[in-house]
Amino acid sequence: MQYALVRKTWRDDRRSLLGWAVGVAAFVTIYVGFYPQFQGTAAVKDDALPQGFADFVGIQNMTTPAGYLEATVYSLIGPLLLIMCGVLLAARTIARPEEEGAMELLLAVPLSRSAFARQRLAAAGVAVTAVAAIPWLLVTALAAGLDIDVPFRNIAAASVGLIALVWCFSGIAFLIGAATGRRGQVVAITGAVAVATYLLRALSGMIDGAGWLRWLTPFHYFTGADPLRTGFHWGNIAVLVAIAMVTCVAGIVLFERRDVGV
Amino acid sequence: MLPGSGSVSAGLSAELSSGTSCRRGSILYGMDTDVAVRAEELTKFYGSRRGIEGLDLEVRSGEVMGFLGPNGAGKTTTIRLLLDFLRPTRGRATVLGMNPRRDKELLHQRIGYLPGELSFPGRESAADLLRFFAAARGGVGWARVTALAERLELDLSRPVRAMSKGNKQKVGLVQAFMHEPALLVLDEPTSGLDPLMQQEFLAMVREARAAGQTVFMSSHVLAEVQQVADRVAIVRDGRLAAVERVESLGRRAVRVVEIHFDDPVTVDEFTGLPGVSDVVVEGPVLRCTVDGRLSPLVKAAARHEVVDLLSAEPDLEETFLSYYYHAEGAGDAVRTGA
Repeated sequence: MQYALVRKTWRDDRRSLLGWAVGVAAFVTIYVGFYPQFQGTAAVKDDALPQGFADFVGIQNMTTPAGYLEATVYSLIGPLLLIMCGVLLAARTIARPEEEGAMELLLAVPLSRSAFARQRLAAAGVAVTAVAAIPWLLVTALAAGLDIDVPFRNIAAASVGLIALVWCFSGIAFLIGAATGRRGQVVAITGAVAVATYLLRALSGMIDGAGWLRWLTPFHYFTGADPLRTGFHWGNIAVLVAIAMVTCVAGIVLFERRDVGV
Repeated sequence: MLPGSGSVSAGLSAELSSGTSCRRGSILYGMDTDVAVRAEELTKFYGSRRGIEGLDLEVRSGEVMGFLGPNGAGKTTTIRLLLDFLRPTRGRATVLGMNPRRDKELLHQRIGYLPGELSFPGRESAADLLRFFAAARGGVGWARVTALAERLELDLSRPVRAMSKGNKQKVGLVQAFMHEPALLVLDEPTSGLDPLMQQEFLAMVREARAAGQTVFMSSHVLAEVQQVADRVAIVRDGRLAAVERVESLGRRAVRVVEIHFDDPVTVDEFTGLPGVSDVVVEGPVLRCTVDGRLSPLVKAAARHEVVDLLSAEPDLEETFLSYYYHAEGAGDAVRTGA
Protein backbone atom coordinates (compact mmCIF):
# COMPACT_ATOMS: atom_id res chain seq x y z
CA MET A 1 0.00 0.00 0.00
CA GLN A 2 2.52 2.48 1.26
CA TYR A 3 4.92 1.92 -1.59
CA ALA A 4 2.45 1.75 -4.44
CA LEU A 5 4.14 4.75 -6.03
CA VAL A 6 7.56 3.08 -5.91
CA ARG A 7 6.20 -0.01 -7.66
CA LYS A 8 4.39 2.14 -10.21
CA THR A 9 7.62 4.04 -10.93
CA TRP A 10 9.51 0.81 -11.54
CA ARG A 11 6.76 -0.53 -13.76
CA ASP A 12 6.70 2.63 -15.85
CA ASP A 13 10.50 2.59 -16.14
CA ARG A 14 10.95 -1.12 -16.74
CA ARG A 15 11.49 -0.99 -20.53
CA SER A 16 14.00 1.76 -20.19
CA LEU A 17 15.72 -0.04 -17.32
CA LEU A 18 15.93 -3.29 -19.22
CA GLY A 19 17.42 -1.45 -22.20
CA TRP A 20 20.07 0.21 -20.07
CA ALA A 21 20.91 -3.00 -18.23
CA VAL A 22 21.36 -4.93 -21.47
CA GLY A 23 23.37 -2.11 -23.05
CA VAL A 24 25.73 -1.71 -20.11
CA ALA A 25 26.18 -5.47 -19.74
CA ALA A 26 26.95 -5.85 -23.45
CA PHE A 27 29.41 -2.97 -23.37
CA VAL A 28 31.33 -4.38 -20.39
CA THR A 29 31.33 -7.94 -21.69
CA ILE A 30 32.55 -7.03 -25.16
CA TYR A 31 35.27 -4.64 -24.04
CA VAL A 32 36.61 -6.70 -21.14
CA GLY A 33 36.13 -9.94 -23.06
CA PHE A 34 38.56 -8.68 -25.67
CA TYR A 35 41.41 -8.91 -23.13
CA PRO A 36 42.97 -12.23 -24.31
CA GLN A 37 43.28 -11.03 -27.92
CA PHE A 38 44.55 -7.69 -26.76
CA GLN A 39 47.37 -9.24 -24.75
CA GLY A 40 49.10 -10.45 -27.93
CA THR A 41 49.21 -7.03 -29.52
CA ALA A 42 49.50 -5.01 -26.39
CA ALA A 43 52.85 -3.46 -27.06
CA VAL A 44 51.77 -2.23 -30.46
CA LYS A 45 48.50 -0.85 -29.07
CA ASP A 46 50.23 1.00 -26.31
CA ASP A 47 52.56 2.73 -28.72
CA ALA A 48 49.70 3.46 -31.09
CA LEU A 49 47.82 5.44 -28.47
CA PRO A 50 49.19 9.01 -28.37
CA GLN A 51 50.38 9.89 -24.87
CA GLY A 52 48.40 13.11 -24.86
CA PHE A 53 45.14 11.28 -25.49
CA ALA A 54 45.94 8.65 -22.90
CA ASP A 55 46.52 11.37 -20.32
CA PHE A 56 43.38 13.15 -21.38
CA VAL A 57 41.07 10.21 -20.80
CA GLY A 58 43.04 9.14 -17.75
CA ILE A 59 44.65 5.94 -18.97
CA GLN A 60 48.00 5.19 -17.42
CA ASN A 61 49.33 2.04 -18.98
CA MET A 62 47.07 -0.11 -21.06
CA THR A 63 49.39 -3.07 -21.08
CA THR A 64 48.94 -3.75 -17.39
CA PRO A 65 45.72 -5.56 -16.37
CA ALA A 66 44.60 -2.61 -14.22
CA GLY A 67 45.40 -0.21 -17.04
CA TYR A 68 43.37 -2.32 -19.43
CA LEU A 69 40.28 -2.28 -17.21
CA GLU A 70 40.73 1.41 -16.64
CA ALA A 71 41.00 2.14 -20.35
CA THR A 72 38.04 0.01 -21.36
CA VAL A 73 35.47 0.32 -18.57
CA TYR A 74 36.35 2.97 -16.02
CA SER A 75 37.81 5.94 -17.86
CA LEU A 76 35.43 7.24 -20.50
CA ILE A 77 32.63 5.16 -21.96
CA GLY A 78 31.56 3.37 -18.78
CA PRO A 79 31.05 6.53 -16.73
CA LEU A 80 29.51 8.28 -19.73
CA LEU A 81 26.93 5.54 -20.33
CA LEU A 82 26.00 5.20 -16.68
CA ILE A 83 25.79 8.95 -16.09
CA MET A 84 23.43 9.21 -19.06
CA CYS A 85 21.33 6.41 -17.62
CA GLY A 86 21.24 8.08 -14.20
CA VAL A 87 20.35 11.49 -15.61
CA LEU A 88 17.54 10.16 -17.79
CA LEU A 89 16.05 8.08 -14.99
CA ALA A 90 16.29 11.03 -12.61
CA ALA A 91 14.52 13.18 -15.20
CA ARG A 92 11.66 10.68 -15.16
CA THR A 93 10.95 11.16 -11.46
CA ILE A 94 9.37 14.61 -11.68
CA ALA A 95 10.29 16.56 -14.81
CA ARG A 96 8.97 14.13 -17.37
CA PRO A 97 5.49 13.48 -15.93
CA GLU A 98 5.17 17.18 -15.22
CA GLU A 99 6.01 18.12 -18.78
CA GLU A 100 3.69 15.45 -20.17
CA GLY A 101 0.81 16.64 -17.99
CA ALA A 102 0.58 13.35 -16.12
CA MET A 103 1.81 14.85 -12.87
CA GLU A 104 -1.56 15.89 -11.47
CA LEU A 105 -2.90 12.35 -11.29
CA LEU A 106 0.36 11.08 -9.78
CA LEU A 107 0.53 13.89 -7.29
CA ALA A 108 -3.10 13.35 -6.31
CA VAL A 109 -2.13 10.14 -4.50
CA PRO A 110 -2.42 10.57 -0.73
CA LEU A 111 1.20 11.42 0.00
CA SER A 112 2.69 14.68 1.16
CA ARG A 113 4.72 16.52 -1.47
CA SER A 114 8.00 15.51 0.11
CA ALA A 115 6.90 11.89 0.61
CA PHE A 116 5.95 11.85 -3.06
CA ALA A 117 9.37 13.17 -4.09
CA ARG A 118 11.12 10.73 -1.72
CA GLN A 119 9.28 7.72 -3.14
CA ARG A 120 9.99 8.74 -6.73
CA LEU A 121 13.62 9.33 -5.82
CA ALA A 122 13.94 6.06 -3.93
CA ALA A 123 12.52 4.11 -6.86
CA ALA A 124 14.84 5.79 -9.35
CA GLY A 125 17.79 5.51 -6.96
CA VAL A 126 17.44 1.76 -6.58
CA ALA A 127 17.06 1.36 -10.34
CA VAL A 128 20.10 3.51 -11.13
CA THR A 129 22.18 1.69 -8.52
CA ALA A 130 21.20 -1.68 -9.96
CA VAL A 131 22.30 -0.66 -13.46
CA ALA A 132 25.47 1.00 -12.15
CA ALA A 133 26.39 -2.18 -10.25
CA ILE A 134 26.43 -4.27 -13.43
CA PRO A 135 30.09 -3.42 -14.28
CA TRP A 136 31.14 -4.50 -10.79
CA LEU A 137 29.55 -7.94 -11.17
CA LEU A 138 30.64 -8.49 -14.76
CA VAL A 139 34.18 -7.20 -14.41
CA THR A 140 34.66 -9.38 -11.33
CA ALA A 141 33.34 -12.44 -13.15
CA LEU A 142 35.29 -11.74 -16.36
CA ALA A 143 38.50 -10.96 -14.47
CA ALA A 144 38.24 -14.33 -12.78
CA GLY A 145 37.46 -16.12 -16.02
CA LEU A 146 40.04 -14.40 -18.21
CA ASP A 147 42.89 -14.23 -15.69
CA ILE A 148 42.93 -10.45 -15.55
CA ASP A 149 45.27 -9.96 -12.64
CA VAL A 150 43.57 -7.24 -10.61
CA PRO A 151 42.50 -7.94 -6.99
CA PHE A 152 38.73 -8.23 -6.52
CA ARG A 153 38.97 -5.68 -3.79
CA ASN A 154 40.39 -3.12 -6.21
CA ILE A 155 37.72 -3.91 -8.80
CA ALA A 156 35.18 -3.37 -6.02
CA ALA A 157 36.82 -0.07 -5.10
CA ALA A 158 36.66 1.28 -8.66
CA SER A 159 33.12 -0.06 -9.16
CA VAL A 160 31.80 1.40 -5.93
CA GLY A 161 33.41 4.69 -6.96
CA LEU A 162 31.59 4.41 -10.29
CA ILE A 163 28.27 3.89 -8.52
CA ALA A 164 28.98 6.91 -6.30
CA LEU A 165 29.87 8.99 -9.37
CA VAL A 166 26.57 8.03 -11.00
CA TRP A 167 24.71 8.91 -7.79
CA CYS A 168 26.42 12.29 -7.79
CA PHE A 169 25.23 13.21 -11.30
CA SER A 170 21.82 11.61 -10.81
CA GLY A 171 21.44 13.78 -7.71
CA ILE A 172 22.26 16.90 -9.70
CA ALA A 173 19.74 15.81 -12.36
CA PHE A 174 17.09 15.17 -9.72
CA LEU A 175 17.69 18.59 -8.19
CA ILE A 176 17.23 20.38 -11.50
CA GLY A 177 14.14 18.35 -12.40
CA ALA A 178 12.55 18.84 -8.99
CA ALA A 179 13.25 22.56 -9.07
CA THR A 180 12.21 23.30 -12.66
CA GLY A 181 9.99 20.47 -13.87
CA ARG A 182 11.67 20.71 -17.27
CA ARG A 183 13.27 17.64 -18.79
CA GLY A 184 15.25 19.64 -21.33
CA GLN A 185 16.90 21.62 -18.56
CA VAL A 186 17.75 18.45 -16.63
CA VAL A 187 19.57 16.94 -19.59
CA ALA A 188 21.18 20.17 -20.78
CA ILE A 189 22.44 21.41 -17.42
CA THR A 190 23.57 18.05 -16.02
CA GLY A 191 25.17 17.18 -19.35
CA ALA A 192 27.04 20.49 -19.40
CA VAL A 193 28.22 19.98 -15.82
CA ALA A 194 29.40 16.45 -16.63
CA VAL A 195 31.34 17.50 -19.73
CA ALA A 196 32.83 20.57 -18.04
CA THR A 197 33.99 18.68 -14.96
CA TYR A 198 35.37 15.86 -17.11
CA LEU A 199 37.44 18.39 -19.07
CA LEU A 200 38.47 20.05 -15.84
CA ARG A 201 39.87 16.79 -14.50
CA ALA A 202 41.86 16.31 -17.70
CA LEU A 203 43.11 19.90 -17.82
CA SER A 204 44.06 19.97 -14.16
CA GLY A 205 46.61 17.25 -14.90
CA MET A 206 47.92 18.75 -18.13
CA ILE A 207 48.42 22.40 -17.28
CA ASP A 208 51.17 23.38 -14.87
CA GLY A 209 49.93 25.08 -11.76
CA ALA A 210 46.30 24.06 -12.44
CA GLY A 211 46.49 20.95 -10.30
CA TRP A 212 44.22 22.41 -7.61
CA LEU A 213 41.36 22.44 -10.14
CA ARG A 214 41.01 18.68 -9.72
CA TRP A 215 39.38 19.20 -6.33
CA LEU A 216 36.43 20.77 -8.12
CA THR A 217 35.53 17.81 -10.28
CA PRO A 218 33.60 14.67 -9.29
CA PHE A 219 35.75 12.64 -11.70
CA HIS A 220 38.79 13.26 -9.53
CA TYR A 221 37.03 11.68 -6.56
CA PHE A 222 36.15 8.72 -8.75
CA THR A 223 39.55 7.77 -10.26
CA GLY A 224 41.97 10.37 -8.92
CA ALA A 225 43.36 8.03 -6.27
CA ASP A 226 43.67 5.16 -8.75
CA PRO A 227 41.40 2.61 -7.05
CA LEU A 228 42.21 -0.20 -9.51
CA ARG A 229 45.79 -0.17 -8.25
CA THR A 230 45.41 1.14 -4.72
CA GLY A 231 41.98 0.00 -3.55
CA PHE A 232 39.35 1.87 -1.53
CA HIS A 233 39.62 5.56 -0.72
CA TRP A 234 36.57 6.10 1.40
CA GLY A 235 37.08 9.85 1.68
CA ASN A 236 36.74 10.25 -2.08
CA ILE A 237 33.65 8.06 -2.24
CA ALA A 238 32.18 10.01 0.67
CA VAL A 239 32.56 13.28 -1.26
CA LEU A 240 30.54 11.88 -4.18
CA VAL A 241 27.87 10.44 -1.90
CA ALA A 242 27.67 13.73 -0.03
CA ILE A 243 27.08 15.66 -3.26
CA ALA A 244 24.32 13.19 -4.15
CA MET A 245 22.68 13.55 -0.77
CA VAL A 246 22.84 17.32 -0.68
CA THR A 247 21.39 17.67 -4.19
CA CYS A 248 18.61 15.21 -3.41
CA VAL A 249 17.62 16.96 -0.20
CA ALA A 250 17.75 20.33 -1.97
CA GLY A 251 15.56 18.91 -4.75
CA ILE A 252 12.95 17.66 -2.28
CA VAL A 253 12.90 21.00 -0.46
CA LEU A 254 12.51 23.01 -3.67
CA PHE A 255 9.83 20.68 -5.03
CA GLU A 256 7.92 20.98 -1.77
CA ARG A 257 7.83 24.76 -2.16
CA ARG A 258 6.94 25.40 -5.74
CA ASP A 259 3.85 25.37 -7.99
CA VAL A 260 3.51 22.19 -9.98
CA GLY A 261 2.39 21.93 -13.58
CA VAL A 262 2.03 25.64 -14.29
CA MET B 1 -30.41 13.33 2.96
CA LEU B 2 -27.94 16.14 3.49
CA PRO B 3 -25.55 14.87 6.11
CA GLY B 4 -23.34 16.88 8.31
CA SER B 5 -25.69 19.77 8.76
CA GLY B 6 -26.61 20.05 12.39
CA SER B 7 -24.82 16.88 13.33
CA VAL B 8 -21.55 18.60 13.99
CA SER B 9 -20.66 21.25 16.48
CA ALA B 10 -19.48 24.54 15.12
CA GLY B 11 -15.84 23.54 15.65
CA LEU B 12 -14.12 23.32 12.31
CA SER B 13 -10.67 21.88 12.09
CA ALA B 14 -10.62 20.98 15.77
CA GLU B 15 -12.49 17.80 14.89
CA LEU B 16 -9.73 16.69 12.61
CA SER B 17 -7.34 15.15 15.03
CA SER B 18 -9.51 12.06 14.99
CA GLY B 19 -9.87 12.24 11.24
CA THR B 20 -7.10 9.78 10.45
CA SER B 21 -9.39 6.90 11.17
CA CYS B 22 -11.88 8.11 8.53
CA ARG B 23 -11.80 5.88 5.52
CA ARG B 24 -15.06 5.17 3.80
CA GLY B 25 -18.55 4.58 5.04
CA SER B 26 -21.23 7.05 4.23
CA ILE B 27 -21.84 8.06 7.82
CA LEU B 28 -18.52 9.81 7.87
CA TYR B 29 -18.92 11.87 4.73
CA GLY B 30 -18.62 15.58 5.29
CA MET B 31 -18.52 15.25 9.02
CA ASP B 32 -15.53 17.49 9.55
CA THR B 33 -17.47 20.65 9.06
CA ASP B 34 -20.57 22.04 7.42
CA VAL B 35 -18.41 23.65 4.81
CA ALA B 36 -16.55 21.34 2.44
CA VAL B 37 -14.58 24.03 0.64
CA ARG B 38 -13.92 27.54 1.81
CA ALA B 39 -11.89 30.06 -0.15
CA GLU B 40 -10.99 33.36 1.48
CA GLU B 41 -9.55 36.12 -0.67
CA LEU B 42 -7.98 33.31 -2.67
CA THR B 43 -5.66 34.84 -5.26
CA LYS B 44 -3.17 33.42 -7.71
CA PHE B 45 -1.01 35.36 -10.10
CA TYR B 46 1.40 33.74 -12.53
CA GLY B 47 3.96 36.49 -12.62
CA SER B 48 1.81 39.40 -13.72
CA ARG B 49 -0.83 37.22 -15.36
CA ARG B 50 -3.94 36.77 -13.28
CA GLY B 51 -5.28 33.30 -12.54
CA ILE B 52 -7.93 34.09 -9.95
CA GLU B 53 -8.28 37.13 -7.74
CA GLY B 54 -9.96 37.67 -4.38
CA LEU B 55 -12.14 34.59 -4.52
CA ASP B 56 -14.47 34.20 -1.55
CA LEU B 57 -16.51 31.04 -1.84
CA GLU B 58 -18.12 28.37 0.30
CA VAL B 59 -19.18 24.94 -0.86
CA ARG B 60 -21.41 23.33 1.75
CA SER B 61 -21.02 19.73 2.75
CA GLY B 62 -23.30 17.47 0.77
CA GLU B 63 -24.14 19.89 -2.01
CA VAL B 64 -23.32 19.84 -5.69
CA MET B 65 -21.81 23.12 -6.73
CA GLY B 66 -21.25 24.00 -10.34
CA PHE B 67 -18.28 26.22 -11.03
CA LEU B 68 -19.01 28.05 -14.21
CA GLY B 69 -17.13 30.39 -16.41
CA PRO B 70 -15.77 30.85 -19.88
CA ASN B 71 -12.40 29.28 -20.73
CA GLY B 72 -9.58 31.18 -19.09
CA ALA B 73 -11.79 32.60 -16.35
CA GLY B 74 -9.75 30.98 -13.57
CA LYS B 75 -11.67 27.77 -12.88
CA THR B 76 -8.74 25.39 -13.26
CA THR B 77 -6.45 27.71 -11.30
CA THR B 78 -8.92 27.65 -8.42
CA ILE B 79 -9.19 23.88 -8.50
CA ARG B 80 -5.41 23.47 -8.56
CA LEU B 81 -5.14 25.75 -5.56
CA LEU B 82 -7.63 23.59 -3.66
CA LEU B 83 -5.52 20.50 -4.40
CA ASP B 84 -2.23 22.18 -3.46
CA PHE B 85 -0.68 21.86 -6.91
CA LEU B 86 -0.47 25.66 -6.86
CA ARG B 87 0.23 27.86 -3.89
CA PRO B 88 -1.87 30.99 -3.47
CA THR B 89 -0.33 34.42 -3.99
CA ARG B 90 -2.72 35.74 -1.33
CA GLY B 91 -5.59 34.44 0.72
CA ARG B 92 -6.24 30.85 1.66
CA ALA B 93 -8.32 27.80 1.04
CA THR B 94 -9.70 25.31 3.53
CA VAL B 95 -10.85 21.95 2.21
CA LEU B 96 -12.82 19.52 4.40
CA GLY B 97 -11.66 21.69 7.27
CA MET B 98 -8.03 21.08 6.37
CA ASN B 99 -5.11 23.05 5.01
CA PRO B 100 -4.43 21.79 1.47
CA ARG B 101 -0.67 22.00 1.90
CA ARG B 102 -0.13 20.87 5.46
CA ASP B 103 -2.75 18.12 5.36
CA LYS B 104 -2.23 17.01 1.77
CA GLU B 105 -1.79 13.35 2.63
CA LEU B 106 -5.03 12.92 4.55
CA LEU B 107 -6.93 15.32 2.34
CA HIS B 108 -6.09 13.56 -0.91
CA GLN B 109 -7.26 10.31 0.63
CA ARG B 110 -10.68 11.90 0.86
CA ILE B 111 -10.81 13.78 -2.42
CA GLY B 112 -11.65 12.36 -5.82
CA TYR B 113 -10.02 14.55 -8.42
CA LEU B 114 -10.50 14.66 -12.17
CA PRO B 115 -8.00 16.97 -13.91
CA GLY B 116 -9.16 19.16 -16.75
CA GLU B 117 -6.22 18.18 -18.93
CA LEU B 118 -6.14 14.42 -18.65
CA SER B 119 -2.85 12.71 -19.25
CA PHE B 120 -2.03 9.39 -17.65
CA PRO B 121 1.34 8.24 -16.34
CA GLY B 122 2.68 5.03 -17.85
CA ARG B 123 1.68 2.63 -20.61
CA GLU B 124 -0.29 0.01 -18.75
CA SER B 125 -3.89 -1.10 -19.20
CA ALA B 126 -6.70 0.83 -17.58
CA ALA B 127 -7.12 -2.03 -15.08
CA ASP B 128 -3.47 -1.87 -13.98
CA LEU B 129 -3.55 1.90 -13.74
CA LEU B 130 -6.69 1.78 -11.61
CA ARG B 131 -5.11 -0.92 -9.43
CA PHE B 132 -2.29 1.53 -8.78
CA PHE B 133 -4.71 4.29 -7.78
CA ALA B 134 -6.57 1.81 -5.57
CA ALA B 135 -3.39 0.65 -3.84
CA ALA B 136 -2.09 4.20 -3.44
CA ARG B 137 -5.32 5.17 -1.68
CA GLY B 138 -5.05 2.31 0.75
CA GLY B 139 -7.17 -0.21 -1.10
CA VAL B 140 -10.47 0.06 -2.97
CA GLY B 141 -12.88 -2.81 -3.54
CA TRP B 142 -12.28 -4.03 -7.08
CA ALA B 143 -15.98 -4.74 -7.53
CA ARG B 144 -16.60 -1.04 -7.14
CA VAL B 145 -14.15 -0.31 -9.96
CA THR B 146 -15.61 -2.86 -12.35
CA ALA B 147 -19.13 -1.66 -11.55
CA LEU B 148 -18.18 1.90 -12.48
CA ALA B 149 -16.41 0.73 -15.63
CA GLU B 150 -19.41 -1.32 -16.67
CA ARG B 151 -21.69 1.60 -16.07
CA LEU B 152 -19.59 3.86 -18.27
CA GLU B 153 -19.08 1.07 -20.83
CA LEU B 154 -15.34 1.18 -20.39
CA ASP B 155 -13.08 -1.69 -21.45
CA LEU B 156 -10.49 -1.97 -18.69
CA SER B 157 -8.20 -4.34 -20.54
CA ARG B 158 -7.04 -1.78 -23.09
CA PRO B 159 -3.95 0.40 -22.58
CA VAL B 160 -4.96 3.90 -21.55
CA ARG B 161 -2.50 5.52 -23.96
CA ALA B 162 -4.30 4.01 -26.95
CA MET B 163 -7.76 5.13 -25.82
CA SER B 164 -9.92 7.82 -27.40
CA LYS B 165 -10.46 11.06 -25.53
CA GLY B 166 -13.88 9.93 -24.37
CA ASN B 167 -12.58 6.65 -22.98
CA LYS B 168 -9.70 8.39 -21.23
CA GLN B 169 -12.26 10.67 -19.65
CA LYS B 170 -14.10 7.59 -18.39
CA VAL B 171 -10.90 6.23 -16.82
CA GLY B 172 -10.49 9.62 -15.17
CA LEU B 173 -14.03 9.48 -13.82
CA VAL B 174 -13.63 5.92 -12.51
CA GLN B 175 -10.48 6.85 -10.58
CA ALA B 176 -12.18 9.95 -9.15
CA PHE B 177 -15.30 8.10 -7.97
CA MET B 178 -13.88 4.70 -7.05
CA HIS B 179 -12.82 5.34 -3.44
CA GLU B 180 -16.14 7.05 -2.63
CA PRO B 181 -14.41 10.23 -1.49
CA ALA B 182 -16.06 12.79 0.76
CA LEU B 183 -15.36 15.48 -1.84
CA LEU B 184 -15.30 15.18 -5.61
CA VAL B 185 -13.42 17.92 -7.44
CA LEU B 186 -14.12 17.56 -11.14
CA ASP B 187 -12.65 19.85 -13.77
CA GLU B 188 -14.78 19.83 -16.93
CA PRO B 189 -16.00 16.29 -16.21
CA THR B 190 -18.15 15.82 -19.30
CA SER B 191 -15.61 16.92 -21.88
CA GLY B 192 -15.24 14.25 -24.54
CA LEU B 193 -18.22 12.20 -23.35
CA ASP B 194 -21.08 11.48 -25.72
CA PRO B 195 -24.56 12.66 -24.66
CA LEU B 196 -25.60 9.26 -23.31
CA MET B 197 -22.50 9.04 -21.12
CA GLN B 198 -22.99 12.63 -20.02
CA GLN B 199 -26.39 11.61 -18.67
CA GLU B 200 -24.82 8.59 -16.95
CA PHE B 201 -22.24 10.88 -15.39
CA LEU B 202 -24.93 13.26 -14.16
CA ALA B 203 -26.70 10.28 -12.58
CA MET B 204 -23.46 9.36 -10.82
CA VAL B 205 -23.23 12.88 -9.44
CA ARG B 206 -26.81 12.70 -8.16
CA GLU B 207 -26.05 9.39 -6.46
CA ALA B 208 -22.92 10.84 -4.92
CA ARG B 209 -24.98 13.64 -3.44
CA ALA B 210 -27.57 11.16 -2.18
CA ALA B 211 -24.73 9.29 -0.45
CA GLY B 212 -23.69 12.51 1.26
CA GLN B 213 -20.65 13.30 -0.88
CA THR B 214 -19.89 16.87 -1.87
CA VAL B 215 -19.30 17.68 -5.52
CA PHE B 216 -17.50 20.72 -6.88
CA MET B 217 -17.50 20.61 -10.67
CA SER B 218 -16.38 23.12 -13.22
CA SER B 219 -17.94 23.56 -16.59
CA HIS B 220 -18.45 26.07 -19.31
CA VAL B 221 -21.83 24.63 -20.23
CA LEU B 222 -24.64 26.07 -18.15
CA ALA B 223 -27.23 23.47 -19.17
CA GLU B 224 -25.34 20.45 -17.83
CA VAL B 225 -24.63 22.11 -14.52
CA GLN B 226 -28.25 23.18 -14.22
CA GLN B 227 -29.30 19.54 -14.36
CA VAL B 228 -27.44 18.47 -11.22
CA ALA B 229 -26.15 21.40 -9.24
CA ASP B 230 -27.74 22.90 -6.15
CA ARG B 231 -25.84 26.13 -6.63
CA VAL B 232 -23.57 27.60 -9.21
CA ALA B 233 -20.63 29.93 -8.75
CA ILE B 234 -19.87 31.98 -11.80
CA VAL B 235 -16.40 33.35 -12.51
CA ARG B 236 -15.42 35.84 -15.19
CA ASP B 237 -12.01 37.32 -15.88
CA GLY B 238 -10.51 35.84 -12.73
CA ARG B 239 -13.19 37.12 -10.39
CA LEU B 240 -16.31 35.67 -8.83
CA ALA B 241 -19.29 37.19 -10.63
CA ALA B 242 -22.10 35.55 -8.69
CA VAL B 243 -23.20 32.60 -6.62
CA GLU B 244 -26.77 31.58 -7.34
CA ARG B 245 -29.15 28.81 -6.39
CA VAL B 246 -29.92 26.91 -9.55
CA GLU B 247 -33.66 27.49 -9.15
CA SER B 248 -33.13 31.23 -9.30
CA LEU B 249 -31.44 30.81 -12.64
CA GLY B 250 -34.65 28.95 -13.35
CA ARG B 251 -35.58 27.84 -16.77
CA ARG B 252 -34.67 31.24 -18.11
CA ALA B 253 -32.60 29.66 -20.74
CA VAL B 254 -31.45 32.29 -23.17
CA ARG B 255 -31.40 31.11 -26.76
CA VAL B 256 -30.27 32.48 -30.05
CA VAL B 257 -33.01 31.85 -32.60
CA GLU B 258 -32.77 32.07 -36.35
CA ILE B 259 -35.87 31.78 -38.53
CA HIS B 260 -35.87 31.43 -42.32
CA PHE B 261 -39.05 32.60 -44.06
CA ASP B 262 -40.27 32.21 -47.63
CA ASP B 263 -40.61 35.97 -48.05
CA PRO B 264 -38.84 38.96 -46.55
CA VAL B 265 -40.16 40.13 -43.17
CA THR B 266 -39.84 43.44 -41.31
CA VAL B 267 -38.14 44.13 -38.00
CA ASP B 268 -41.19 45.87 -36.56
CA GLU B 269 -43.28 42.71 -36.46
CA PHE B 270 -40.87 41.11 -34.00
CA THR B 271 -39.56 43.91 -31.82
CA GLY B 272 -41.38 44.38 -28.56
CA LEU B 273 -42.41 40.73 -28.21
CA PRO B 274 -41.95 39.54 -24.61
CA GLY B 275 -38.46 38.14 -24.04
CA VAL B 276 -37.31 38.84 -27.58
CA SER B 277 -34.37 41.14 -28.18
CA ASP B 278 -31.46 41.84 -30.52
CA VAL B 279 -33.76 41.44 -33.52
CA VAL B 280 -31.94 41.57 -36.84
CA VAL B 281 -33.63 40.96 -40.18
CA GLU B 282 -31.80 40.33 -43.43
CA GLY B 283 -34.39 39.76 -46.16
CA PRO B 284 -36.19 36.54 -45.30
CA VAL B 285 -33.90 35.66 -42.36
CA LEU B 286 -34.59 36.77 -38.80
CA ARG B 287 -32.09 36.50 -35.97
CA CYS B 288 -32.85 37.33 -32.37
CA THR B 289 -32.23 36.40 -28.75
CA VAL B 290 -35.06 34.90 -26.75
CA ASP B 291 -35.11 34.92 -22.99
CA GLY B 292 -37.81 32.63 -21.63
CA ARG B 293 -40.51 30.91 -23.65
CA LEU B 294 -40.50 30.76 -27.39
CA SER B 295 -44.24 31.00 -27.99
CA PRO B 296 -44.57 34.77 -28.48
CA LEU B 297 -41.94 34.58 -31.19
CA VAL B 298 -43.35 31.40 -32.72
CA LYS B 299 -46.87 32.87 -32.82
CA ALA B 300 -45.61 35.99 -34.53
CA ALA B 301 -43.59 33.93 -36.98
CA ALA B 302 -46.55 31.69 -37.81
CA ARG B 303 -48.14 34.58 -39.70
CA HIS B 304 -45.57 33.83 -42.42
CA GLU B 305 -44.40 30.69 -44.19
CA VAL B 306 -41.60 29.34 -41.98
CA VAL B 307 -38.96 27.38 -43.88
CA ASP B 308 -36.61 26.65 -41.05
CA LEU B 309 -36.19 27.41 -37.36
CA LEU B 310 -32.86 27.09 -35.61
CA SER B 311 -32.45 27.48 -31.89
CA ALA B 312 -29.16 27.25 -30.07
CA GLU B 313 -27.98 27.86 -26.57
CA PRO B 314 -25.53 30.71 -26.74
CA ASP B 315 -22.09 30.28 -25.22
CA LEU B 316 -21.74 30.98 -21.58
CA GLU B 317 -20.27 34.42 -22.03
CA GLU B 318 -23.40 35.46 -23.87
CA THR B 319 -25.60 33.94 -21.21
CA PHE B 320 -23.80 35.87 -18.53
CA LEU B 321 -23.94 39.10 -20.43
CA SER B 322 -27.61 38.62 -20.94
CA TYR B 323 -28.15 37.62 -17.34
CA TYR B 324 -26.14 40.32 -15.72
CA TYR B 325 -26.42 43.31 -17.94
CA HIS B 326 -29.15 43.18 -20.41
CA ALA B 327 -31.79 41.64 -18.15
CA GLU B 328 -30.97 44.09 -15.37
CA GLY B 329 -33.47 46.77 -16.33
CA ALA B 330 -36.07 44.67 -18.04
CA GLY B 331 -35.62 41.89 -15.51
CA ASP B 332 -39.09 42.01 -14.01
CA ALA B 333 -40.89 42.23 -17.28
CA VAL B 334 -38.91 39.34 -18.67
CA ARG B 335 -39.57 37.22 -15.62
CA THR B 336 -43.31 37.78 -15.96
CA GLY B 337 -43.09 36.93 -19.60
CA ALA B 338 -41.31 33.72 -18.79
